[in-house]
Amino acid sequence: MPRVTLRYYALLREQAARAAETLNSGARTPAELYAELAGRYGFRLAPAQLRVAVNAAFADWDRPLADGDEVVFIPPVAGG
Amino acid sequence: MNGFAFTRDVIDAGALSAGVAQPAAGGFAAFEGRVRDHNEGRRVTRLAYEAFEPLAVAEGERIVAEALRRHGALAARCVHRLGELAIGEVAVWVGVAAPHRAEAFAACRAIIDEVKHRLPIWKKEYYADGDTGWVNCDRCVSHAAAGAFDYSRQSALPEVGAAGQERLAAATVVVIGAGGLGCAVLPTLAGAGVGTLVIVDHDRVEPANLHRQPLYVPADAGRPKAEAAAERLAAYNPSIRILPRVQRFDADHADEIAAGCDVLVDCSDNFAAKFLVNDAAIRAGRPAVLASVYQYEGQLQVVRADAGGSCLRCQWPAATRDGLVGSCRETGVLGPVPAVLGQLQAMEVLKLLLGLPGQLRDELLLVDLLDCSQQRIAAPRDARCTGTCVRVAPPDGAAEVLELRLPIAEAAARGFRIIDIREPEECAFQPLPVTGQQAVPMDRFLGGGVELDPEARYLLVCAHGVRSRALAEWLRAQGRDNVWSLAGGLELPG
Repeated sequence: MPRVTLRYYALLREQAARAAETLNSGARTPAELYAELAGRYGFRLAPAQLRVAVNAAFADWDRPLADGDEVVFIPPVAGG
Repeated sequence: MNGFAFTRDVIDAGALSAGVAQPAAGGFAAFEGRVRDHNEGRRVTRLAYEAFEPLAVAEGERIVAEALRRHGALAARCVHRLGELAIGEVAVWVGVAAPHRAEAFAACRAIIDEVKHRLPIWKKEYYADGDTGWVNCDRCVSHAAAGAFDYSRQSALPEVGAAGQERLAAATVVVIGAGGLGCAVLPTLAGAGVGTLVIVDHDRVEPANLHRQPLYVPADAGRPKAEAAAERLAAYNPSIRILPRVQRFDADHADEIAAGCDVLVDCSDNFAAKFLVNDAAIRAGRPAVLASVYQYEGQLQVVRADAGGSCLRCQWPAATRDGLVGSCRETGVLGPVPAVLGQLQAMEVLKLLLGLPGQLRDELLLVDLLDCSQQRIAAPRDARCTGTCVRVAPPDGAAEVLELRLPIAEAAARGFRIIDIREPEECAFQPLPVTGQQAVPMDRFLGGGVELDPEARYLLVCAHGVRSRALAEWLRAQGRDNVWSLAGGLELPG
């Protein structure tokens, strides 16, 4: 079970009510991790509307997650 | 009587004074600006004045009204000549009637100073040697009064120097959006001596902008931002050229604006504009510096498609997302957030123009000002990109149809089920011009649980077509291919 560090931005931060956390997850991919967190925090954006970065690089939703990975879900923001 | 006017006839000071006089005014002050026979060491034989009249008259009226209010004068009038004038003729006349001499002098001085600084009036000088030259009155007055702008603390940097300062002076930077980000970017680039700043913004100043947009003052409310910003920046650094363009950065003008600049700076507040900036920068082969803010955080990205780098479409392949995440108006924003992100943009622009090291490229910088953290995410070019970004389609390109452009009534007649996704109070304020529509606020869709008949065709409608497009895109992403968005929303006639 990988232990991952998460960072949330913009409305994901609001909905999760935290900027970061570390947790143990059964998720094997970012897609599974997001689905798990969406259930917990009520994230409304679909993965297609987001980008995910793993270890400071944009990543595919179906890449495998490893212990110690840093995962960031990045929603698009446009305010100016 | 108008407070400000242009005339092509000789100015009759006596008649004008009589028109301004007031029984309650114990003080009357007048100023006459006359054509002189020399300028900057050259003999001048005559002059011609030209003005952008509609703008100048409106601004002139504003100047006179401000001076009356601010100095407690009773009446004032300013008349400016246009066309050809001989040496010694009165080019501009100001008269003020006030209860006492102090208010009269002060208001008269304020009017002539502001007219010289703010009105778009140009002077053509005919020199004794047969040569001619155009002089922008604003520039020559400011120049004389303020002296040269001193860049010595900046050019002292070994990486800048006199050569770097000259590069900045020769540069043209386009700033799209004069809101929170723009109000940080613009003064910094003006102070650095970027020779030409083009400000593109169609918006007007609102009181709710002021807390994070310090280029504006409460009295600017209702004025076009590009104009008000240009005026403040011209006063700050009179030695640079500032070109306000009161218009949207839209598909009709994007390429023309991008072609004439060295760097584009995206300070807009919506994805549609950001993608237009991105695409225009790619087509013109120019770098673009983009930023966005949300509450306490922001994102910064430098698009270097001109040098083979990644672009916005590499990160966000499906372009428009307006309405999915909140704007500053909806979710709030703290002033330092656009200020910090705007300064980061200005820094990247200067790095580009000066060739400084450490330029951001193929990365997304995430800045969280609540926990003072920054995170750099590698954002390489999409492997499918062929160099000029495969996804840059012409305006009428063959992208799959998501938006429909037709009257609502016709859509209903053609069998579309109309869904009004606006909030209940919006629907009550401006009902749809059709019957039989459903009202389902956008939030209910996003929360899940809205059943759609897979056999039906749905047309989503909102006020401007922004939210409905975003929602239609969201539903498409979930496999619903029977939803469309009404382009332009209720703004569309019919």
